[in-house]
Amino acid sequence: MAETLLRLEDLEVSRGMNKVLSSFHLEIKSGDVVVLHSENGAGKSTVIESSARLLPLEKGSVFHHDTLVLDAEGRRNLPKIPFGLTLQSNGLVGDETVENHLMTVCALSQMTTDVTPILESYGLAHRKHDRIGQLSGGQARKVAVISGLLPAMLSSKPRLILLDEPATGLDQSAVQTLVSTIGQLRSAGHGFLIASHHPSMLECATRLHDLKEEVEHKPSDDKTWTAIGHPEPQTLVAARAGNRYLRSTRAGLARNGLTALLVLGTLMAFVDPSNIENQTLLVGFVLSAPFAAGLAGDPVLYLLREQRAVDWWRANVQRLPSADLFAPLTGVIFTAIGTVVFLGRFDWKVTMIGALVLWLTMASVRFIEINTLRLARPNAVFLRLLLPILILPWALVAEYTATL
Amino acid sequence: MRGRVPEMLLGVGFLGIMTTLYLGLNWAPSVSINAFESPAAQRIFYWHVPSAWAAFIAFGVLFVGSALWFFKRSPVGWRLHVAGTEAGLACGLMTVWSGCVWGAAEWGTPWDWTDVRLNTFGLLTLLALFLVLGRQSQPDGVETRDTFSTFGLFGFVLVPLTYIATRIWQIRHPGPVIAAGDDGGSLQSDMSLVLLIGALSFTLFIIGHMLISMRITHLEQRLESAQKSLDGGN
Repeated sequence: MAETLLRLEDLEVSRGMNKVLSSFHLEIKSGDVVVLHSENGAGKSTVIESSARLLPLEKGSVFHHDTLVLDAEGRRNLPKIPFGLTLQSNGLVGDETVENHLMTVCALSQMTTDVTPILESYGLAHRKHDRIGQLSGGQARKVAVISGLLPAMLSSKPRLILLDEPATGLDQSAVQTLVSTIGQLRSAGHGFLIASHHPSMLECATRLHDLKEEVEHKPSDDKTWTAIGHPEPQTLVAARAGNRYLRSTRAGLARNGLTALLVLGTLMAFVDPSNIENQTLLVGFVLSAPFAAGLAGDPVLYLLREQRAVDWWRANVQRLPSADLFAPLTGVIFTAIGTVVFLGRFDWKVTMIGALVLWLTMASVRFIEINTLRLARPNAVFLRLLLPILILPWALVAEYTATL
Repeated sequence: MRGRVPEMLLGVGFLGIMTTLYLGLNWAPSVSINAFESPAAQRIFYWHVPSAWAAFIAFGVLFVGSALWFFKRSPVGWRLHVAGTEAGLACGLMTVWSGCVWGAAEWGTPWDWTDVRLNTFGLLTLLALFLVLGRQSQPDGVETRDTFSTFGLFGFVLVPLTYIATRIWQIRHPGPVIAAGDDGGSLQSDMSLVLLIGALSFTLFIIGHMLISMRITHLEQRLESAQKSLDGGN
């Protein structure tokens, strides 16, 4: 009997003030290609994003491989078996190279492979080392589609693949390659949930679903895909991706480092530490640079806001890529400079506290920001109004540090 | 007549507040010149304490409304949330502003970043400002309501912390003058009377304000629903 890869039970999902899905049931088994083809606004993307654990449920549950991954009680578990996802808005970070992004997808599947032949089949091999931000819209879409298909391409065991409007923006030959790949992967036992109106996508379906009822469809027979992945255990994939983003963009230096430098410079312009005897005040000056750098927020989270990359990561991991390693390092550097400037000597205890201040401040700002990502306009919300909540703890830490 | 209750509460509350202001500035006895650096500035307490009281009522309503929306999906809960944030912002700003005036006269500084009650109350007011501005920047929907209700629930942790702050860390801020227990409550009866009139007036005013705010939110929702019908939506 074919394995159930996805089961949606009694889903009710609201977006805005509308109930988009109500009492919705769907099951995808190994070898199924279910294409959702209802009209615009009917809820196709809502089904895909609910299946990928991206939308909170009013009612119902989502199961991957018969294991609960999301329910209306707020449980949100990481699927034990990786799945493929292509969002309508790519979910790519522009500063990542094509190869690095695809290798990250492989790492999330605990596999590795040579991605060149796949890129060749989509006419992208010559762009392998280019940053995604340098690609045309259509080329970036191909990368997003390949990353959605990759978990199935790598594995000989059935995988669930979720594709939202995969053919949009692709040229005819890429669509033909995509249809052929889906057919081969289906023959190998992988299961697909696709939202699309594209005629070629409808042709490769085994079931056509308009969110009310579904009809069986017989796609043409395809040869079976041979898995191309080799097992390679990987740990801390998200953390390593976060550090790679920071290295390639220097966003941490640009946002947090420069903020700390500006604060130090401003204080040095107006304060002569040799005339100040109040130790609390001097320690406050030292800790103000890491505090300000932390208030600037997590630079990786800002990078992930591009093309909904944050949602792609949220679907694939429990903890998002972050600047957790970068933060204490920056804290050490700027606090050490501060101790030399304001205290007249390097003080390792104050330096360690400064590193902790930066890391905790940045983590708090990130926590607040992540909690507003679900809003329709997350950038329009006045988040900075909440940040003074961090001043009192910072002042108390400065007061304590002065007593050391 | 029943439909006019909010306006009546607002009117009676407003008159009471004006009376409190008059009595506090002209009739209530002065405090000892030995006990305060600036005894005259102490009269602003007849405004400061009742407005803080009303702000706590509003923040309480904000919490109840947030919980009702978040756990029960109650539309009335959302209206309470909106009314609580607007009233909490208004009263919070009145409290913070009057406290800063008093602090400048008594302490020589309008704000002290190490005083816990001052800061937690200031944060509650900032939270209310965040919720009011944030809600106005977003289209209405479950995403908006869920997010801001969550912040409303988190923010309420600050209310008991603010209330007990001066009992735990009395750095600069005076201790409680209402419900002070055995070691407090040194107010003269005339002072207590003015504070009581102030607290009652602010309570009536804030209830009237919140009822009107709930009515406006309800009308906004009906308008949006009517516009959607005209658009051909749900």
